[in-house]
Amino acid sequence: MSLKKLFEQHPERRYVMFGGKGGLGKTTFSAATAYWLASQGKKVLVFSVDPQASLSDIFQRDIFGKGPVKIMDNLWAQEIDADQHIKQYQGEIRQKILDMYGFDQIPDEIEQYIQAASAEPAMEESAIFDAVVDIVVEGSYDYYIYDLVPLGHALYYLSMAKVYDEWINKITHLREEMREYEEMVSRLKREKETEEDQILRELQYIRTRINASSRILTDKQKTAFFFVIVPEEMILVDTQKAAGLFEKFDVPISGYVVNRMIPRELLQVEIPAYLRNRIEMQSHYLKQIETMFGDQVASFVPELERDVTGLPMIEKLAGIMYRD
Amino acid sequence: MSPEKKGFLSNLKEVIYGMAAHDMSRYALRTRASMEHLFILITMGDMIGIPILPPYYSLRLLPYVVPQISTWKRRLLREKDISDAMF
Repeated sequence: MSLKKLFEQHPERRYVMFGGKGGLGKTTFSAATAYWLASQGKKVLVFSVDPQASLSDIFQRDIFGKGPVKIMDNLWAQEIDADQHIKQYQGEIRQKILDMYGFDQIPDEIEQYIQAASAEPAMEESAIFDAVVDIVVEGSYDYYIYDLVPLGHALYYLSMAKVYDEWINKITHLREEMREYEEMVSRLKREKETEEDQILRELQYIRTRINASSRILTDKQKTAFFFVIVPEEMILVDTQKAAGLFEKFDVPISGYVVNRMIPRELLQVEIPAYLRNRIEMQSHYLKQIETMFGDQVASFVPELERDVTGLPMIEKLAGIMYRD
Repeated sequence: MSPEKKGFLSNLKEVIYGMAAHDMSRYALRTRASMEHLFILITMGDMIGIPILPPYYSLRLLPYVVPQISTWKRRLLREKDISDAMF
């Protein structure tokens, strides 16, 4: 089924993601899809969760860390600045400690911990996925298009989400038990009711955040996930592996988009052997794609005469991707 | 109630509490304290090199456990619990 038909038949799939190995055209396809949907009159936000985001480059506008920036009618783009997000978050934590205890400055031990925690590799992923929850919960867009991080990160996050959820259940349970003891003491001492445990409330909040971000990735009704592939052996092997893993984590795969096809019409004219070989190689792998993914392939996109940057090129690409 | 106005009845109440319930509440408090330390271990574990909860979220809990952090670290280094002698 063509990409256009997929979108027309499933207007409820409001979260659109393009995933795949690095450099295959995820950002390009995200931008083109956003452009096409916007030109159909839908209100669209395309945003990047990649620290090396390139939406700025493709739209030729500096949007990094600036919130949603309007590109044209119905179309907004946003690049999340994870570092800035983490710094701001650290600041909030520090302020909360100062306010709660009336300190003039953060105790050394605590400050060291704040610094060390922020240096951990998992910090950035968590911060980004947490920011995504804000974007998706608060926004009033018809469509959200994710320019995803490369496959590994998304998988890592999904697998962690399951583990974290279990952990938080256990911790919450412990916390509830602690509260029972506290209540017992207040009853014995005939004191009035204990205050509500703020930690318990935070834990519940954390759980809803982690669940919300992994739910968006795995929502069968509202999410459409597309793999970007090119007709080359390594890409196909890796994508097949990744698709298997994604299915295990219940990511609903809607289809595959083949990029970088060298136009076969070139074979009609005099071309160097180098190019002829590449075209033949591609047709070999296209046959493989046919047997691997069959009618799940939603669109074929040729190598264009120049790279896709700026709205006119995006428009051209969208026209090719979303033809009937 | 101010101390000088404490009547016979409230004194009696405290005596009965001391005889009947004080031990129980002491025990409950001690259990709760160990749980508190266990809680800090599983949330702030990376302070002593045991990463368990993702750091982004353990930072959210940090403000609430600030006062307990140093006693927690001390306790980890002790084999015998000092609170046994304190109570």
